[in-house]
Amino acid sequence: MVLALLTVSMLAQGYAPGREGTAPLDAAREERVMRLGKQLRCAVCQGLSIADSPASMARAQLDKVRELVAQDQTDEQINDYFVARYGEWVLLRPTATGTNWILWLGPGLLLMLGMVFLYSLTKGKQAAPPAAPAAAASAGDPYLDAVKADLKR
Amino acid sequence: MRQKLILIGASAFALLLVVVLYRGFGTDPHAVPFHMAGRQAPPFKMKRLDNGQEVSFASLAGKPVVINFWATWCGPCKLEHPVLQWGAQKYAGRAEFVGIVFEDTEENTRQFLKENGGVFPQLFDPKSTTAVDYGVSGVPETYFINKQGVIVGKYANPIDPGTLDRRLAEIL
Repeated sequence: MVLALLTVSMLAQGYAPGREGTAPLDAAREERVMRLGKQLRCAVCQGLSIADSPASMARAQLDKVRELVAQDQTDEQINDYFVARYGEWVLLRPTATGTNWILWLGPGLLLMLGMVFLYSLTKGKQAAPPAAPAAAASAGDPYLDAVKADLKR
Repeated sequence: MRQKLILIGASAFALLLVVVLYRGFGTDPHAVPFHMAGRQAPPFKMKRLDNGQEVSFASLAGKPVVINFWATWCGPCKLEHPVLQWGAQKYAGRAEFVGIVFEDTEENTRQFLKENGGVFPQLFDPKSTTAVDYGVSGVPETYFINKQGVIVGKYANPIDPGTLDRRLAEIL
């Protein structure tokens, strides 16, 4: 019963009514707002930045960026504001510090390891001893063995 | 010897992969991290929807506070509304309950409260500024703030009476 009620309530989930964002700043500061907005992940979307998302919540977050830019806060201070609330998750481009180095260097390291592995495999094959001559393999043929025995006589 | 090294390397890589997958399967990939726990609750000042009086976070200082972020278009918010009403009455005098409506209209909210009742103050956040300040990532979300004004945690689902009791015990 509770599950059915929960399902019905989930299906009844609506959408936020549209609303206007705050008025844009002058061209130079607005360009900065959009640049910073492109680097911040929208909290209610799937991998979209707050500058690219049409979600009302993303617009609210972009308004906050606009407010902080209007207060002459630095890029670092604005990023810190969002990181303090959502963690590094909010940065679409993780900072190259601490364990984040794994993210930056991991793919390159894995590629290098793969290349070393492939190189060692192909080198090993090239260095393998050549196959035994065909003559030696005739031991299994009784007719050939008989001929050889006759010739030795 | 070479084969042994390859085997050890492959095993180490497989183990690392299993650890990464195990950690990944244990978490909700859509969950938005919350980093406000342990921090001072951001200040706010908004108008009550019922009488237009201004309510600030400072005016709630010294008491445990429960802040519920919600909207009338959100189904789970409607589901938890009676639970919060019950909680506000049960803990009256011991904790302050405040609702903050965002991503909505005043008319919708007033109509909803008229039909469903509202025993605790409901504030309206017209530009979702306070919601962003608190690191809200959806509706409904209920924040639990202790007497010192520090956010102890949040509950990001429709709350039930048992959870409300448990979470309140942490801030009383």
